[in-house]
Formats: sequence, C-alpha cells, structure tokens
Amino acid sequence: MDIDIIEEAQAAGASSQSVRKPIIALVDDAHPFDLEGYISNYTGRTAIERLIHIVVTCPTIAAEAYQLCVQHIHQSRDPGLYQNLLSAYEQAQAYNQSQVGEGAIVLPDPMEIAQLDTKWMDETLAKNAADRGKLEVELKTYTNNMIKESIRMAHRDLGDFYRQVGDYATSLKHYTKSREFCTTSQHVLEMCLSVLELLIEQRNYSHLSTYVFKADAALDAATAAANAASSSEGAGASGTGATAKKKATSSAERDAVQSKLDLATALSYMGQGNYEKAGQYFLKIGPAKELGDWLIAPGDITIYTTLCALATFQRASIKGRLLENATFSLYIEQEPYIRELVQAYLNSNFKVVLELLSRYSTRHYVDIHLAPHVQNLTNLIRNWAVVLYFQPFATIRLDRMSTAFGWTVEEVEEQVVGLIQSGEIQGRVDSQNKILQAKQTDYRADLVARSIKLANDIQATNRKLLLRMRLQQADLVIKPPKGSGHHGQLQGTLAEFMAGGD
Amino acid sequence: MVSTVRSSEDVVANLPRFNVARVELALLAIVDGDLDSLDNFLKLLDKQLKNRIQAFHAARHTSHLKTQWLQTAAKMAPSDPLQVMDAIFQKVTTADSVISIATYLKNINPQDLRDAALSGPLSSGQDPLSILSVPQNTLVVLYILTARLYSPAGQPPSLQLLEEFCRHFDPEQARFAPDKVTLLAKGIQKLALAHNTPRAAVQPLQHLISRYPPHPSYLTTIHPIFTLTCLQATTPAAAVPVLEYPITNIDSHLSDLHYNDNLIYHYTGGVILAMLKKWSEAEEFFEICATAPGSVPAALQMEALKKLRLVQLISKGKVTALPKYAHPILSRQFKASPYHQFISSYPHNVDSLKEILHKERSLFSTDKNVGLLRQAIDRAPRWALKKLTATYLSLNLADIGKAVKIDREGEVRQLLLDMIESGDISASIAADGSVTFSDPPPQFSREQVDQVLKNVQDQGALLEFLEKEMAKSKEYLSKAVKGRDEGFSVPDEDVFAQFQGGGAVWVDEPGFS
Repeated sequence: MDIDIIEEAQAAGASSQSVRKPIIALVDDAHPFDLEGYISNYTGRTAIERLIHIVVTCPTIAAEAYQLCVQHIHQSRDPGLYQNLLSAYEQAQAYNQSQVGEGAIVLPDPMEIAQLDTKWMDETLAKNAADRGKLEVELKTYTNNMIKESIRMAHRDLGDFYRQVGDYATSLKHYTKSREFCTTSQHVLEMCLSVLELLIEQRNYSHLSTYVFKADAALDAATAAANAASSSEGAGASGTGATAKKKATSSAERDAVQSKLDLATALSYMGQGNYEKAGQYFLKIGPAKELGDWLIAPGDITIYTTLCALATFQRASIKGRLLENATFSLYIEQEPYIRELVQAYLNSNFKVVLELLSRYSTRHYVDIHLAPHVQNLTNLIRNWAVVLYFQPFATIRLDRMSTAFGWTVEEVEEQVVGLIQSGEIQGRVDSQNKILQAKQTDYRADLVARSIKLANDIQATNRKLLLRMRLQQADLVIKPPKGSGHHGQLQGTLAEFMAGGD
Repeated sequence: MVSTVRSSEDVVANLPRFNVARVELALLAIVDGDLDSLDNFLKLLDKQLKNRIQAFHAARHTSHLKTQWLQTAAKMAPSDPLQVMDAIFQKVTTADSVISIATYLKNINPQDLRDAALSGPLSSGQDPLSILSVPQNTLVVLYILTARLYSPAGQPPSLQLLEEFCRHFDPEQARFAPDKVTLLAKGIQKLALAHNTPRAAVQPLQHLISRYPPHPSYLTTIHPIFTLTCLQATTPAAAVPVLEYPITNIDSHLSDLHYNDNLIYHYTGGVILAMLKKWSEAEEFFEICATAPGSVPAALQMEALKKLRLVQLISKGKVTALPKYAHPILSRQFKASPYHQFISSYPHNVDSLKEILHKERSLFSTDKNVGLLRQAIDRAPRWALKKLTATYLSLNLADIGKAVKIDREGEVRQLLLDMIESGDISASIAADGSVTFSDPPPQFSREQVDQVLKNVQDQGALLEFLEKEMAKSKEYLSKAVKGRDEGFSVPDEDVFAQFQGGGAVWVDEPGFS
C-alpha cells in the first residue's frame, strides 16, 4: 500500500522535473565556482547526480563536469547513468548553440572528451546480473527455511543492490519488505535510514516525514532497550551482539541518528517550501562529524540553514541562533562567504547581502536540493531586507534606498510598491518626488470609524438573523420540491417579473 | 424593525401575546401616577374583554345557526343566489360583532353558491356595494369584491372601486379574512394587467400594503405582489416607501405566507433597489433572499446570489463572504458558473472581463444580468484607482492611466474628478498633471455618534426583550423543566448559562454580516 503511493509520487515527481524549465547559471569571474572542490565533497551516486545537474545548469563548465562524471560512473555499478549524462550534455550543447550570437563557447563532442569503457560496461552488467541471481537465490533459500533474521538481511542486501544499480522502485520494495522480518527496533531503524537515504537521493521530499516518524519511534525504543540492557548486568544473554555493542556508544550513536533524522525532516520541509520549519530543523542538527558523509556535505547544510534563516527568521533570532550557536559556528567555517553574508545582514548592509547572494548564486543553483528554491529564498531575503531597512524611517528618498541596495530608483519603486500592496510595508510612495513615506494613522479616528462600522454591521446582522429566526419559527423554510411542477412554477414567476423587470 | 416603544393600544390589541407586558404597563402607569393613560388603558382593556365575550357568544350562536341553516339548505337546495345574498345582507347588517360575521361568511356552504350570490345583486335589484359602507362593513365588501374579481361570468369591479376600498377599509376587520386579502391583491394585479395598465394597480396595492399589517415590519402576501407590480409597471420608485422598512416580523395568522413570498419579495425588492442604484440596500435584500433558511436551495436563491455578487462588485469593488448560515450547495454551484470567473478577474483584468461578457453573453442575457455586468465593468477602473491611493502619495496622470488601463489622459482626469466629487477618494490634481492623494481621517459629528449609540441601545433592549420573551415561552419552559426533571444533575443555571453563552457568541461574531 505504502509502496504503491510512493511509486506514483515518484512518477509524478520525475515528470514535473523534466517539464520544468532548466535554470541556467553562469560561471565566470563574477560568479566563481570551483567544480573540483565542490564535487570532492561527495561520493558515489549523489556525486554523479550532482554532476549531471551541473551539466544542465552550467553549460559553461559542462565539458569539465562531463569528464568528471564519466570517471565517477566508472566507479559505480549503474551504466544506465551514462544515458542520463549524455542527454543532459546534449541539452547543454543545444543551449549553447542557441546562444551562439553572444559568442558562447561551443561544446566539444562528448565522444571526444571521454567515452564510456565498453569493456567495463559489459563486465559491470554481467557482474550485476550475477549478483542479482545470487542474492535472489539466497532470499529464496532463506524464505524456505523460514529464518527471519536471514530473510531480513537478504531483503536488505537486495535493497542495497538495487539502489546501487539505480532501480529505486525495486529497492524500496525490498527495504519495506524487510520490515516485516525485523525483530528489534534497531533493525527497524536501520531499515528506515536506508529508505531515507533512498528518498533523499531521489529528492522525494513529501515522503521523508513518514519514515522520519517511524524512525523516531524505533530510535526511542532502541535506546530504551539499550538502557535496559546496560542497567541489568545479566541481560547479556537476552541482548544480541548488536545491542551489547551499542551499549558503549549508545548515546553518541543516538545523537548521530537523531542528526540524520533532523536533516531528513529539514530537507523535507525545504522541499515543500516551508522554509521557516526547515531552518529550525537544520539548526537542530548536531556537529558535522555525527553525520559523517551522509549524502549531504556540511557546507551544504551551512548554506541551506543560512538561507532559510535569513528568509524567515527574526533579526534577533538570526543573531542568537546562527552566530552565537556553538554547533553552527563549526558549520559556518565550511563556507567563509556565509559568515560574511550573515554579518552584512545583521549590520544592515543589504547591498553587500544582495551582492553576495548574486555572486554565489551559481553555487546555490548547482545544488540539487536547493536549486528549485533559490529564487524564492532570494526574493524572501530581499523583501525582508527592504522591510527592515525602511522600519526606522518616517520618510525616505528612494534614491537613498537605491544606493543602499544597489538598485536603480525604478527598481526600488517597483519593489516598494509590491511590498506595500502585499501589506508588508505600511507606507505610501510619492511617485513625483520619489519619496517613501510611512503611513500615519490617526488611531482615535480610526477606532471611532471602526466601531461605528461595527455597530452598523452588527445591527444589520441582527436584523437579518431575527428575520431568519422568525421565518424558521413560522416554518417558512424552503422544502425540496415534491415534483418538477413546483420548480416550474418558480421559474414561471421568475420569467414573469423578469419580463417586466429589466 | 419591531417597534420598541409600545403604546398601550398595541399591547391591548395583542392581548394574548403580551400578557405580562400589559400588566407591566398598567403598573408603570400606576406608579407614575399617570391617571390619564391608566384610564385610557382600562377603557381599552374593557372594550377588548367585551369583544371577546361577544365573540364567544357569537361563536355559539353561529354554530347553532349553521346547523339550522344546513338543515334548511338540505331541504330547499339548490338555493337561489339572490336569496342567499339577501340572507347575507340581512345577517351582516344586523350582526353585532365582527367575529360572528367572519365565521358566518366563512361557513356558508356550498362555496360556489356563496361566491355566485356575492357577485350578484340583491333580490331588490340593488347593488349591495352601493348600500354597504366600506369602513363599517369591510369584511363583507371584501368578500363581495373578491367574489366579483374571480367570478367567471360577471363584470369585475372597476379599479376606482377597488382603490376606494383599499383607501378606506378597516384593517382590523380585514384581518379576519387574510386569504381574501391575498386574493384581492392578486385580483387587482391581474385586473390591471388585463387592462394593460399595470401602473393602475400600484396605487391601490400601496394603500392595501400600508394599511393592512399592524406594523410595516410584518411580511404579508401582499408584499411580493406589490413589488412585482412595481416592476411590471416600471415604477420602481413607488416601492421605496415600503422597501424602506426592513422585514423583521412574520405572523402566519396575519397572512397565509409561503416561503416563496419571502424569497420573491426580497428578490424583487433587491431588483428594484438595484434599478434605483441603492446598492447597499439592494445588497441586503439579495442577501436575505440568498440566505433564506431551507434544506435545499431554491432556484431563485441562485439568481439572487448572482445579482448579489454583481451588486457588491459595483458598490464595493469586491465581494464579501456569505454568512455562515448560507446553504453550502449554493456557493458551490456559484463557483462553477461564469460569474465566479468574472469576479476573480475583477477589477484589474478589464480585457478578460469583457471577453467573459462576450463569450457568455447568451447566459448572461437569459439571466437578465447584462446591465449589471456592464455597470460593473464600467466601474472597474475606479477600484483599480482606489487601490493606487493606498500605495501612492502622488502620481502623474499618465502613470495612473497605465495602472487603470485607460489610454487617454482626459478620460483619466474625468474619472478622477468624478471620484473626487463623489467622495470616493480625496485627491488634488496639479496643473502639470500630477495627482496628490491624501486621506483625511474620517470625521464624525456628535450627533452621528449619539445616533449610533441610541440605535445600539435600542437594539440591546430589543434583544433583551426577545430573550425574556423566549425565556417565558411555553416551548422553552417545557424544555427547561423537562431537562430538570430528567436529571437532577443539570441545574437550572446550566441551561441558562448555555443560553447566555449562545448570546455571547452572537455578539462576538461580527463576521456574520
């Protein structure tokens, strides 16, 4: 039941992703981006996915990314990925060709840069087939023998295998099946984490929370079991090897898992556009070493957290929760420009904020999780910035604002008008003299006007309700027509007076 | 509105309904030493009691008569209409109370013989109407007139005669035969239509409607007929004096109402008010129609909702939510109609508004809403302009034109001037074409505030009165007592607290409007 829903969602997600217009990010002196440095943070499948994403979004460095990607593919077990890469590269080529007028670089033919080793490909495919056969036979034997633990492990191994070869649906099916054979909550936790990894790799954000919830429950149960085991010395016989080992590192491991779960929750909130919640969960994540290299690099977390926080948090809590947070300060070290960004924001140096955002926009666009939200987040931050900037003023010249934000006066006016209309700034624009003026309300008159209006409204409402009450008392309520004749009569009267009416 | 200041006449006239109020008033008069009013009051009371005693005797008498008459009728049927008319005439001129006449007239059998008799002359050849006086013999004249209006053979009475009756009849007597009053009103409307002069019906109906109910706040069957006639006669202004009084009272003894009467009255009333461009009143009328209670929505309610939305667009530039008690099916159906599309692109997207109007023209014109839609489109730039005043302090005419999608500067200027004059916005146009908006704080005079306060106090008193009325009503008391009998655990206060709680919710939720 679970599985079906997820598969459907995946299909939907895949189609919507393919339909979406690709965002094109530039890599040049104004928008620096270090591909090698960036991709070295990732390994395995996620690295390949990211490189493919880069090929699409940054045509300028597509060739380099393509080459790197082919190398990574050689280390993986899924030759099918090469097809994806090739089509992504062709897309980039097509884009570049359409931009020819501006003297864009013409991408070389993919075959010239790097080619897939056909020998490797055949070998891998053969190995995959062999492995699959072996694992399936194992599963069958175990199922016949009815050994629960072995069946679980067989399912898990099959899940892992399919994940590596890129068959997500089958992988998920095996993972969820293994749940039936879990005997301890530790196993359930393991299963949940595997599914979470799978879902994150897939960018299927809406289902993350389900498994986080299950994992949370399993984690609590596992810790409780571990505690019970450690408190009673003689429990060694009943506890399995896993729990005994867990005893020693119990709390550290628990924190690590909790961090992973928080990360998954935060990602799911971000994926669904709930940036405030996402920011809160990102901040809950423990130190980077707890996560290890679990799918997402620490630098990414820094960026996600900061952008979400700047877009939605209050000024005071940005200061308190980002800068004066011991855990997070370690993260900030990962991406030096982020510290600059937050500092500039807190110093109300919004021009710098916006410049930094645009300078590093490429870094943001190439991130597979963040890319769809960069535009929204940037808009939110900009809006907040304008609101914050205007707060202390009663009147301000728009040209002063334009120097503070580095925009033209027209841009400032457009921004401000938008914000006034959405109710975020209480002010009005003097378009002739280019001045923004805060609204001054005469609260006394306002109150009188409001209460008089309210009094009149309530009176009218009372009157109508009284009539309604009387109608009900006299049983003059509309009843369903007994036949069509009644309806016709009503229509008849209608037409009759309409004829005279208009 | 229910009259809050009750005269002693009112109280006495409604003796059985206001028992307690009667005593209270008497006591008040005694306490105040207001001997005149006490005297007056006692006289009225006396008269009323006498009437009731008479009625009692008359009822016995007529039942006696009736059996007698039935016996004779059985012997000598079929009777001659002339003779029956003579008997009726004899009876009504000699009977001493109205009630006896009412029961007598109602019970003459067979009915068609009675109607035939009433539409004919006396045996002496005289027309009974020429002998009877309208104020004194209202009831029988009413019977005669309705019989003649609906008699298949005879000549219907002239409109002058009917108007004469409407002007001079005695409402107290007429209230003994509400069905005949309805028939009379319908007859007048039909007659006028038959003569092709619908306008002639307006005057008599207006007299009838203003004199028949005890207070203008009562709904009667005459109301929908009257508003319909005003529409047919294309004299909407004539209906205004009646429409000014909101309906708050329903008395099914006063008039044999059907739920359609309420719907049609408020719908047609809304149409009339919309024709006169009294938007806020029209809105209220349409809303009452659209939110009338019922288990299923009526077709007319849908029409009312459509018109309500358009009127709101014209008068406010946006729609407000229906009250919570509106039927959910109604708004669901409305969402599926092109009207909803129209509203969602209002007021900014004038092009798409025009396109919708063009595309759905046949539907709109069968609904007879094209006029309202046009007015709404014409007013769209005003709302766009009004929004600008909230955003800008000053703008030049060209920018305004761009924002409200009017190309010619002169037109924009005209629109601005128009809005400034009608008080929709406050702004000034400089010689160089720049417009400065200002919003002066709303000003209220002392009188206005006092008036509002007085209204609120009246309303409060009315609600208190209604609450007490309900608290002593039979249904409420029997329920409350029953609740107490069933379980001792439910103390009296609980029931009352619940009741008061309901009241509090009511006051707290201005969102109803």
